[in-house]
Amino acid sequence: MNEPADDADGIRAAVREHLLSDVLVGEDPENLTDDLPLRTSGVIDSMGVIRLTGFLEARFSIRIEAHETGVENTDTVDAIVSFVESKLAG
Amino acid sequence: MELTEDIIRLQREVEAFARERLGGSGVERDREGVFWRDGWTACGEAGILGIPVPTACGGRGAGLLATIVAMETLGRNVDDLGLLFALNAHLWAGVIPIVRFGSETQRRRWLPTLLDGRSVAGHGATEPDAGSDVFSMTTSARRDGEDWILDGTKSFVANGPVADVLIVYATTDPALGEAGIASFLVPRETPGLSCSPPLDKAGLRSAPSGTVSMEGCRIPADGLLAKPGDGAACFNCSMEWERGAILAMHVGRMEKQLDDAIRFARERRQFGRPIGAFQSVANRIVDMKIRIETSRPLVHRIGRLKDEGRQAMMEAAIAKLHVSEAAVQSSLDAVQIMGSRGYLREGLVERDLRDALGARIYSGTNEMQRVLVARLLGLPSSLPARGPGDRPA
Ligand SMILES: Cc1cc2nc3c(=O)[nH]c(=O)nc-3n(C[C@H](O)[C@H](O)[C@H](O)COP(=O)(O)OP(=O)(O)OC[C@H]3O[C@@H](n4cnc5c(N)ncnc54)[C@H](O)[C@@H]3O)c2cc1C
Repeated sequence: MNEPADDADGIRAAVREHLLSDVLVGEDPENLTDDLPLRTSGVIDSMGVIRLTGFLEARFSIRIEAHETGVENTDTVDAIVSFVESKLAG
Repeated sequence: MELTEDIIRLQREVEAFARERLGGSGVERDREGVFWRDGWTACGEAGILGIPVPTACGGRGAGLLATIVAMETLGRNVDDLGLLFALNAHLWAGVIPIVRFGSETQRRRWLPTLLDGRSVAGHGATEPDAGSDVFSMTTSARRDGEDWILDGTKSFVANGPVADVLIVYATTDPALGEAGIASFLVPRETPGLSCSPPLDKAGLRSAPSGTVSMEGCRIPADGLLAKPGDGAACFNCSMEWERGAILAMHVGRMEKQLDDAIRFARERRQFGRPIGAFQSVANRIVDMKIRIETSRPLVHRIGRLKDEGRQAMMEAAIAKLHVSEAAVQSSLDAVQIMGSRGYLREGLVERDLRDALGARIYSGTNEMQRVLVARLLGLPSSLPARGPGDRPA
């Protein structure tokens, strides 16, 4: 199977797939909008974030520091995508 | 895996230091519940507190594996585990969050004296009604102009009665749950802050713990360590390092217990033979050895992972769980092998047992480590699930 590319669309697809299979199991994918608050509405807790960052590190070969895993970078799909893009840009 | 030359050199240095400056049983301090200030100062002067801290922050930059090996060496050579626990609480719950989350100004203000032994740090997360469910904390932080005002009570704060600075976790908006948590650097002399006398604990009695009360504590903006929304990450980061490293002292302690048990089992004679010739005594000693051999790789692995900049949350939980259970069992075996002598204070192993029991509770109970590992393995959370439809209004 081909991995999606590491551009914004590819990152978005990977993040969505992870969230839908890990946190929102059985949820209608349409409900996972790009601006849905994930942390501030309690959809993901900090352990979910640790799984998410573990996934992102492995999938995109990046290193994520603890201080980068706060709400600002992880509250929405949009925020996660921008964060990964900034990491990939070095 | 082999240790590097640098780490072996550090190990020798720490061993010589411990023999020279941290000798004595400390039985009196345990009985009276007294903090060993001179021992603390000596550790600061010897550079022990700077081992894991990057050189850019004024530390020795030796990394976590080196620190773990140093703590193991101290656990083997220092009888006052309370002092070692206090050092660990200071490092993992105090110093590391400042290194990882602090601004340049905060690092410059706090780290020099925290690393050279002049100051002591602690952290307040647990509350009377928020233990394992720590993020249900109610200690509040509200804005007042540029400042923050903290109100609430923190329980069981290690080093609390002797701390110069506390890292306090508080909620800025209870409706946000853990996403509303922030952490603050709270100097001891802050008006409105008070700490109880040391709690009368079963073990780790020379590591004073207290209840910290905050009433209208005014913290200037530069006292904000992790901003609202980053507090849970700060706490988890601190706990990852702590769970991974704090048990290293018990690995060293288990080695000391093993050596002492072997010596005792060879010398003590009953029924005309050394007791070590009896299989039930020998089996206990073999089990003690097996626990050391299964514990050490777990803690060393955390050191290696963190030194490579990798996540070790699950590995740290596993190490914490395994080594603390091993330390309790090893202490029980050591008491049993020594018979009535093991039951006396001066035999020291009864204190090891009391000290080890705390390890099953602090840094998150062992039951909670299982909950955490289950979550990190991808098992569903035992907490009520929320979905996109449950957005707060
Ligand atoms: C020596 C020592 C030093 C400490 N130092 C500090 C410190 O410096 N700063 C700080 O903030 N705190 C500190 N603590 C507090 C420590 O973190 C808490 O004691 C710990 O998190 C457990 O909270 P609790 O004692 O309120 O127990 P509770 O949370 O009330 O738990 C009681 C029992 O219920 C079990 N339990 C609870 N929830 C679950 C669940 N979901 N699944 C399974 N079992 C569960 C627990 O495992 C435990 O057996 C320290 C504790 C000790 C013993």
